[in-house]
Amino acid sequence: MKNRLKVLRAERDWTQADLAQRLDVSRQTVNAIETGKYDPSLPLAFRISRVFGTPIETIFDSEDGADVKNVSEP
Amino acid sequence: MKSADDSLSDSCSSAPRDGRNQLRVILWSMVWAVSFVVVTLSAKRAWWPFGPTLAAALGTSLFGIATLLAHRRFLRETDELRRKIEIEALSLAFGVGVVGGMTYWLLTVMGAVPAMDFFYVLLVMLLAHPVGVWIGRRRYS
Repeated sequence: MKNRLKVLRAERDWTQADLAQRLDVSRQTVNAIETGKYDPSLPLAFRISRVFGTPIETIFDSEDGADVKNVSEP
Repeated sequence: MKSADDSLSDSCSSAPRDGRNQLRVILWSMVWAVSFVVVTLSAKRAWWPFGPTLAAALGTSLFGIATLLAHRRFLRETDELRRKIEIEALSLAFGVGVVGGMTYWLLTVMGAVPAMDFFYVLLVMLLAHPVGVWIGRRRYS
């Protein structure tokens, strides 16, 4: 899964350690997410969204490119 | 942007909470291991009468339970990547122990190798765990 974590962090002039502290995770976790080696859990993704003040979908992007279809209820 | 923040030199840095929890695990593990060795030697060499040795053996089990609880606390409170690494390492240790132990047992039944004490299977599992943690840390760094 692609993400814009590094860009958003750079815009705020935060180090990985700064972001890790804000998210209450280790710096290794921030690094692994940024490099695409690890996909965060949904709760952590929401925390990231709150820390940057931007919706999840503007931070993370599934690489399969598939959109969710709107299925009307019967 | 601040420099050097992307380096991996501190890829295993942990929060103080993790450090404290890991220290608890290590301390309880050491107490358990020392207690285990003392009680084993006592039982083999008959240092103490049966009653006190039995009580010491039960006490050793309590230290083991304390170690498990400390490890559970560490897993619950650590961040999710570390938890994933730990769980993968435990899976590796379990897999190596079960597969290795069963294979050796089969070879023993066939008469290809001498019978081995079950303790050695546990020893292999204990050694496989830190190897698994090391592999995980390398993988996600």
